[in-house]
Amino acid sequence: MELAIFTAVPFCLALLLAAPFVRTSLNKSSQTVLSTLVTAALFAWLLSMLPRIQDAGAISQTIMWLPSAGISLSFYLDGLALLFGLIITGIGALIFCYAGFYFDDAEEHNRFIVWLSAFAGAMLAVVLSGNVLMMFIAWELTSITSFILIGFKGAEDAAAREGAFKALFVTGAGALALIIGLVMLSGAAGQILYPEEEIRFVGDFASILQAKTLHQHEWYMLFAVLILLGGFTKSAQFPFHFWLPAAMSAPTPASAYLHSATMVKAGIYLFARLSPVMYPNDLWTSSLLTVGLVTMLVGAYFAVKQRDLKGLLAYSTVSKLGAIVAMIGLPNQSGLKAAFVGIIAHAFYKSALFLVAGTIDHATGTRSIDRLGGLRRKMPVMFWVTVISALSMAGTPFLLGFVAKETLLDAMLHYTAPWTQLVMIMVIASTAFTAMAGYMLIYDVFLGTPRKRVHFHQPAPWIRLGPALLAFGSLCLGFLLEPVLIPVLKLALPKSFELHLFAGFNEVFLLSAAILLSGLLLFLMRKSLIRRITFPLSGDAVYREFISYVEWAGSAILHTQSGFVRYYLVIILGAVAAVLVLSGTLSDVIAGQRFFPSDLSVTITDLAKIFMLFLTVAAGLLTVVVREHVKAAIAYGLIGYAIGVIFLIEHAPDVALVQLLVETMATVLIIIMLGRIRADARLKVIKNLWTGRHDYSFGLLRDLGVSIVIGLAIFVFSLIALQNRPQRHSIAEWHLANTKAVSTDDVVGAIVADFRATDTLLEIAVFTTAALGVLTLLARGRRRGGSLAPQKAETGLLHEFDATVLEEIQDATSLSTPFTRSVSFIVLPIAILIGVAQILYGGSGPGDGFTAGVTIGLAVSLWYVVLGYNEAKNLLPWFQPALIVRLGLIIAIANALFPLFIGRGFMGHVEFDQALGIYDIVGFFGLHITSSLIFEIAIAITVMGGLGIIIEAIAYPTERSQEPFETPNAGQI
Amino acid sequence: MIELLFALSIGILFGIGVFQLLRRDLIKAAIGFAILFSAINLFFVAVGAFEGEFAPYVSNVEAGRQTSDPLIQALILTAIVVSFGSFSLVLGFVNIISRRYDTVDSNDINKLKH
Repeated sequence: MELAIFTAVPFCLALLLAAPFVRTSLNKSSQTVLSTLVTAALFAWLLSMLPRIQDAGAISQTIMWLPSAGISLSFYLDGLALLFGLIITGIGALIFCYAGFYFDDAEEHNRFIVWLSAFAGAMLAVVLSGNVLMMFIAWELTSITSFILIGFKGAEDAAAREGAFKALFVTGAGALALIIGLVMLSGAAGQILYPEEEIRFVGDFASILQAKTLHQHEWYMLFAVLILLGGFTKSAQFPFHFWLPAAMSAPTPASAYLHSATMVKAGIYLFARLSPVMYPNDLWTSSLLTVGLVTMLVGAYFAVKQRDLKGLLAYSTVSKLGAIVAMIGLPNQSGLKAAFVGIIAHAFYKSALFLVAGTIDHATGTRSIDRLGGLRRKMPVMFWVTVISALSMAGTPFLLGFVAKETLLDAMLHYTAPWTQLVMIMVIASTAFTAMAGYMLIYDVFLGTPRKRVHFHQPAPWIRLGPALLAFGSLCLGFLLEPVLIPVLKLALPKSFELHLFAGFNEVFLLSAAILLSGLLLFLMRKSLIRRITFPLSGDAVYREFISYVEWAGSAILHTQSGFVRYYLVIILGAVAAVLVLSGTLSDVIAGQRFFPSDLSVTITDLAKIFMLFLTVAAGLLTVVVREHVKAAIAYGLIGYAIGVIFLIEHAPDVALVQLLVETMATVLIIIMLGRIRADARLKVIKNLWTGRHDYSFGLLRDLGVSIVIGLAIFVFSLIALQNRPQRHSIAEWHLANTKAVSTDDVVGAIVADFRATDTLLEIAVFTTAALGVLTLLARGRRRGGSLAPQKAETGLLHEFDATVLEEIQDATSLSTPFTRSVSFIVLPIAILIGVAQILYGGSGPGDGFTAGVTIGLAVSLWYVVLGYNEAKNLLPWFQPALIVRLGLIIAIANALFPLFIGRGFMGHVEFDQALGIYDIVGFFGLHITSSLIFEIAIAITVMGGLGIIIEAIAYPTERSQEPFETPNAGQI
Repeated sequence: MIELLFALSIGILFGIGVFQLLRRDLIKAAIGFAILFSAINLFFVAVGAFEGEFAPYVSNVEAGRQTSDPLIQALILTAIVVSFGSFSLVLGFVNIISRRYDTVDSNDINKLKH
């Protein structure tokens, strides 16, 4: 449990920082302090876990997530995870601190650290996850947050957008390979179970690591390659390395954190995690070794060719990642020590260098090595940070990087293979190039002649803290191997090891000194050397080629598109109809169906039902054929009423009441909306309805055909359903028997507010969302105003009845006669009374929260229709739909949560009046106060508010209707 | 007998709704959309498991009377309100289209392509 909380902390931090009130009330420095302290606290927490892991070996914690599928959130903290976790939180704290001074704009800073802390959470989840699936989810989360951070300046910077997409594309494609590989791995390790024909996906790391014979499994080849692909893309191994330099358009703190210290090490973490079971196979070791070495050399060489400071650092990161991958690939796990020391040393010096690069960029506005120089005087702290870190990168005694390189060379020298010489040449060449890059950083940027043209402003003094601490680490940790590094490494490494700052003047030391010297030599020759050699292979070119094919295919598909929404629907539904007819499904079903019942007897109530059904069908046909929209709306209302009466006959009084009210509301809404659409536009479409260009004969036949086939299918389907009704075997029987237990008479009400209350809660949330959707659509027009509404003068082309009626509705004042006004004034209080009565006594009669809400909403909409928007708004100051909706949802949620505090389930039934001892008092009024009653009140308030939002949004006057209406009056037509 | 007529009406209403959606008039398409909802609600009430003669109240149950299916009714009850919400969303769309393109004819708008 504590590991889950631990992992959740950065996500919570991100949410907290994103909250509007935090953004406004906390300034930049307090946000910086907060994020830094939280991350530092996580670091301390992890450190305090060290003794426990020393004792127990690993801590494993599991929270069931989807027990039926065997999927759980499990956490696994061992030495390896601890090592990575310490890097993530430790470097993270420094980065948060640095970011506070890197960004000048407070809003930008806030946005950045929100995503950065989300990333930190995702990255922690990667290394702490105890099963395959959770690791994969976290892995993808890091890709997504990295995408957002690379594209942070995407709004104005095309390169940032391209870099972000490139990174997401490469790592995302790799992740696809990875998940397939991981699932196969879990299957091979017996971590996918099939109890009783179900599938349980367990994929537990701890158990996978116990599967010692995995390397002999018949799938080994496949899943090893897939997992390698996943790791190689994530850790920017050749030939997938090209996304990492492109990712340098991220703000520098993100580059330092994600693209140097942590995220790019996720692939390495994966390799290290799975190594114990994957090792004994040659495929695994030789792939890691080959790819790692090539990456190491290519990266180091490209690094010195770069003229962009961050580009140089990016390629040298690629090189170091290659070195670490190669170390993991050494047979018999002999390189793990070198890999881990390398990871730690790299995290320290490379993050420091990135932060320096960011500070230089911030101070001078450029990152080009050609334009920089002589910054030593102006930035003395940064100079010394760079000296230490760059020398550490080069592997100078007795810095931390020196220890890393010594262990690396030592591991390499012990590697024996037919081609050892070649391997050694590659290692020496790339470390020499790396040393050269280090010298370039010191000399070309800080020494040499100062450039006059470059602008300079001194950054805030505290910006130095992070880089300085990191450089201090590079400087001191080499001397503190015994007390600091060795205890951590001891947990992460499978076997005992030795680590010395200085192992004596042996061949490793001599080699190391030779490398430093040749690096110096290369550095001195750099001007003539760099431009000579070019490298023919580039993954980037392949990527570009691929993307251009995708774009070509996209435009080819675009040529087939008409852009008319209607035809997409025709094709979709037409395809459904075609499948139904051509496959013979429909005809088979019809052939096997008995249509005419033997019993033709009809009761009196059946006659009423038949009449109502006839009415719905006739009104439905009317909506198709009438040539005025108002008539169509009224015909639609008729359908609704007829169905309402059917509900009544079918003994569903609650439903009938809601249906009648809602259909009235819907019809009113259509008519209000008609008033907001230009009459000539509507006349035009009516005129072209049957005879338009695209609709003459063929189009009409096609639409008719599709709808007849679909209608027929629905008819057959309903008939089968109706003839096979589940006679008395439904849960409804249980509902009928148990309604008494929740102290109400109305079974339907009990189901809505009690048995299936969670459903209802979600449904009012959906309703509110729809209402907000309407508001957003129409409020957008409200803000943009004239740009949405075309300001053409009304043409005089108006049409008989339709036009007159609509004019009257459009010009709302004409509906506002003394009679209608007084009716609407009277109706509202009555509606409120009815609503209250329906809620309070809904338990013993028709009506509930829904009907109460709709009743009041209907009365309010009457005001809007009769009085017009402005007057209604003025006269009903208390009717604030947005506030009412919030109130309703808050009551509903509070009522749902309350039972949890008294030991019942979510939305459990509570009898408040008995608990408060007022049962008899309220009982005298026929009332019964329970949690269902409060829920009904919440439903009513929410529905009322939602309706209010919709009616306000739709009745809001457009610019056009606010103008005096110039139309011929009825007499002129 | 009544089953056949119910199924027939549901089928016809559904066909009408689909037909309206396929035609070019957006206002009528919105109405067709609402008719689809009505047809579905009609279907639900028709397939209720109980051939009830009385409304589903506890007092009726205790009196030994055969009530109609309360579960189906509860489902329709919420469905009506939710479908009203989505219908008003559709109306909002039609409204905004008519304002932006000055037409309610879907054949006049092929902006999906551009």
